[in-house]
Amino acid sequence: MTFATGDRVRAKSVDPSHHTRLPAYARGVVGTVVRFQGTHRLPDDVIRGISSPEEMVYAVRFAAQDLFGTGDHSVTLSMWQSYLERP
Amino acid sequence: MSRINDVGGMYGFGQIVAEQDEPPFHADWEAHVFALNSTLVRQGVYQIDEFRDAVERLPPGQYLASSYYQRWFLAIRALLIEKGVFTEEELDDLRDG
Amino acid sequence: MSGDHSDAPIAARVRHLERLLEERGLVIPGALDETLAAYLNRASPANGARIVARAWTDPDFGARLLADAPAVIAELDLSMRGGLQVQDLQVVANTDREHNVVVCTLCSCYPLALLGPSPTWYKSESYRSRVVREPREVLREFGFELRPEVEIKVWDANAETRYLVVPNRPPGTENLAEEQLAALVTRNGLIGTAPV
Repeated sequence: MTFATGDRVRAKSVDPSHHTRLPAYARGVVGTVVRFQGTHRLPDDVIRGISSPEEMVYAVRFAAQDLFGTGDHSVTLSMWQSYLERP
Repeated sequence: MSRINDVGGMYGFGQIVAEQDEPPFHADWEAHVFALNSTLVRQGVYQIDEFRDAVERLPPGQYLASSYYQRWFLAIRALLIEKGVFTEEELDDLRDG
Repeated sequence: MSGDHSDAPIAARVRHLERLLEERGLVIPGALDETLAAYLNRASPANGARIVARAWTDPDFGARLLADAPAVIAELDLSMRGGLQVQDLQVVANTDREHNVVVCTLCSCYPLALLGPSPTWYKSESYRSRVVREPREVLREFGFELRPEVEIKVWDANAETRYLVVPNRPPGTENLAEEQLAALVTRNGLIGTAPV
C-alpha cells in the first residue's frame, strides 16, 4: 500500500521507546501528502539492527489547527511509509 | 511519551537568542568534535542514526544542561564504549562532557 | 586511563579523546584540521546566496530548482555530497502570498554540505519547540513582521530531505547583477527567519 500526492493520511499514534523520526506533535494527526521524497531505510529499524528494505518517504502537510488546535499556518513533515495509515 | 530531543510544540523554552555574524564554530574544540564525528561515521565505527540515537539517550537533565557540541561529545564517548573501541574505564575521565 | 580529569575544561577532554583515538589508529594526527579546512572552504551560506541570485535572474533555473534541486545546483558546481551522507535537497520559494521557514524539531538537520554549520539559535530548544507552533511570533522576534495575509509554511526537516528557502527578491534590485544580488542574501534568509 503506497500513497499518492493529495491523499489524506494519518500519522500513526505510536509511542516507541527507541529512536524514531516521527515527532510526538504529529502523532495521530491527519494531513495531506504533498510530495514524494524518495526511498530511505527506516531509522527505527536501522537503530535496532532490523534489516528491512528502503521505504517510500512522503512530505505530508498538516494544518496547525489540527496539530495544536490553533494557528493559521501549516507544518510539513517527512513521513516514512511505516509512520502512516489511511485515516 | 517521547525523548528529550522531541521538543516540537513544547512550551517553556523562552525567547530565541540569535547572535550577530555568528562564526561556523565558537571554539576549536567544537570544530574538532564536529570533525571527529564525521571521521568516525566515515570509518564505519557507528552510523549516523546511531549517533542521533546516542544524543537522544542522554539523560534529560544532562541533555538540557549541555551545549550542542557537548552533547555530541557525550554521545561520541558513549558510542565508543558501546562499540567496544574503549572500555568504560578508559573513558572514565570524559564522563561529564 | 585513571586519574580524575572530569573537571578539566571541555577543550582538554576533547584533545584527550583525540589522543586516545590516534593511539587506536582511528584518527590520523592533523587530519581533523585538514578535514575541517576543506569542509569550511566548500560549505558556506555564500553557496545558498549564489543559488538564490541565479533563481532570481533566471526564471527557468528557478522553476527547475523547485522540481529537482540536487541536479540543478550542479549547474553551479554545487552538491549535497560533502557531508556525512548524500543529503537530498528541496528548495522552496517565497511569494507575495506564501512564506517558508525551516526547522528540525528532533535535532538540527540542515543543508550542512552546502551551507556549513547552522547557527546556534537554529539548534536551540527555543526555536525548535516554538516555530512549529507559533511561527509568526518567532519571526517577529527576529524583527521580521509578515503581513497578516501571508500564509506561513513551516518545514520540519525530520528525515533525509534538507530545505533551502528562496526569499522574495527585494524591490528596487532590478538593475543589479547576479553577484550583487547574491551579496544581499543572508543565512537567515535561506532558513526563512529574515526577509532576504
